[in-house]
Amino acid sequence: MSFLERVDQAIRRSPAWRSLFRNPYPNDERSRAYAVMNNVFLHLHPVRVRQHAVKFAYTFCLGGLSFFLFLVLTVTGVYLMFFYIPSTTSAYSDILSIQANVAFGLITRNIHRWGAHLMVFFVFLHMMRVFYHGAYKPPREFNWVVGVFLLLFTIALSFTGYLLPWDQISYWAITIGLNMASYTPVINTPIQSLIFGGIEVGQNTLLRFYVLHIMVLPLITAIFLAVHFWRIRKDGGISGPL
Amino acid sequence: MTDQKTEKESRVVLPVDPTRRTEIDKQRVPMSARPYRLLAMVKQDAVVRVQKEPDDTVMTWPHLLSIEFLAATVMSIFLLLMGLFINAPLEELANGNLTPPVAKAPWYLLGLQELLAYFHPVISGVLVPFLYILGGAFVLPFIDRANPEAKKPSERKTTVLLFSLFCILGLMVTFVGVFFRGPGYSIVTPLLPFFDNFTSGLHFAL
Ligand code: HEM
Repeated sequence: MSFLERVDQAIRRSPAWRSLFRNPYPNDERSRAYAVMNNVFLHLHPVRVRQHAVKFAYTFCLGGLSFFLFLVLTVTGVYLMFFYIPSTTSAYSDILSIQANVAFGLITRNIHRWGAHLMVFFVFLHMMRVFYHGAYKPPREFNWVVGVFLLLFTIALSFTGYLLPWDQISYWAITIGLNMASYTPVINTPIQSLIFGGIEVGQNTLLRFYVLHIMVLPLITAIFLAVHFWRIRKDGGISGPL
Repeated sequence: MTDQKTEKESRVVLPVDPTRRTEIDKQRVPMSARPYRLLAMVKQDAVVRVQKEPDDTVMTWPHLLSIEFLAATVMSIFLLLMGLFINAPLEELANGNLTPPVAKAPWYLLGLQELLAYFHPVISGVLVPFLYILGGAFVLPFIDRANPEAKKPSERKTTVLLFSLFCILGLMVTFVGVFFRGPGYSIVTPLLPFFDNFTSGLHFAL
């Protein structure tokens, strides 16, 4: 046995390795079932899925990729949070310094931005896919409604994040949003003072959008995602075949 | 449920020739002989199994997960390249006293902003989004109760037509808002020099 093989075996036999990977590489049906069943991340899935459901051309992975983008946005967003203060006096310069001075700051911000647009886009596409497959029909009505909430949360996440750089683009885009909200009959003033924190975009708005963006909306979205995924299994897996 | 139960209990279990006892026969024990209670009943398979349903399932690992991992990898590479080569927009510091020539909502709300140019704000800012979100999305599965088995678009033409119409209208106003509105939210034709209202660039930020 060569040296490398011995090292390889020693690693695989060590208690640490075996606590991490409780089963050897799954090659037979039984161990493949365990690979899914014994792993909290993979256990979103059942051990077996219907054949047509794994066809790429059925889901186009749109829901899955929306979720993946959500994860990417969480990771990049947490990194950006370390360098950003939601104050009208420092927000903009924080963004400048993220781009110029922070290690991987520019690429992190870029990925966060493009990922966010892409997520909104993919959630739309996912909704189209679900509609054209008639996958909102019984027993999946409830999951469709959960999905519509997810769409609204995704848009709200994107919209609240849009203000945070506190540059001209974000300021005026949110101002337009605020104006639109002001046309709502009866509840316009409560909406404005509750969500925007005043009749014009300012420090209150920035802080509220920040808290919504980094805390409230991601938490609610995560909860709805959990229900969404759980429902898929309760409804008997992916719909179809057409 | 109750009907089934009484029926089952009152049924006389005939002795079956031991050599001909099937799996199902072995499970047929008189109620009184069971050391446990009946808590729930599950539909039993037909006594005569004509044909087992074909098993159309595959193992999640590797068949599904490998596709998911691949999709995630492709997406990661795409995002990395985007992040490396295209910078996120950033303009000057926000200034409430200086309206920029082009002030637009984010693209997913631009359809609404476009409607503001045509209709009374209550219609475009409130009624239409309300209709889309509530009518087009939330209650769709409760309106379309025609035939739950009809999944193919060709089997539910009305719904598909209406929904597509909603989508196309939304896409159209969004498209106009994104590409054909320039400084002061005036109608422009970008990049096509032979139009009167030609502008040399695109007027939206992502
Ligand atoms: C954050 C947004 C969302 C995420 C991450 C998400 C994720 C997923 C995933 C991973 C699936 C499995 C099948 C697939 O990939 O297509 C799925 C299925 C489904 N989603 Fe979503 N979804 C989101 C938003 C929505 C929206 C906006 C709707 C509809 C309004 C929706 C309705 C459904 C329904 C009805 C199914 C079951 C589809 C079937 O059985 O074929 N979801 N979702």
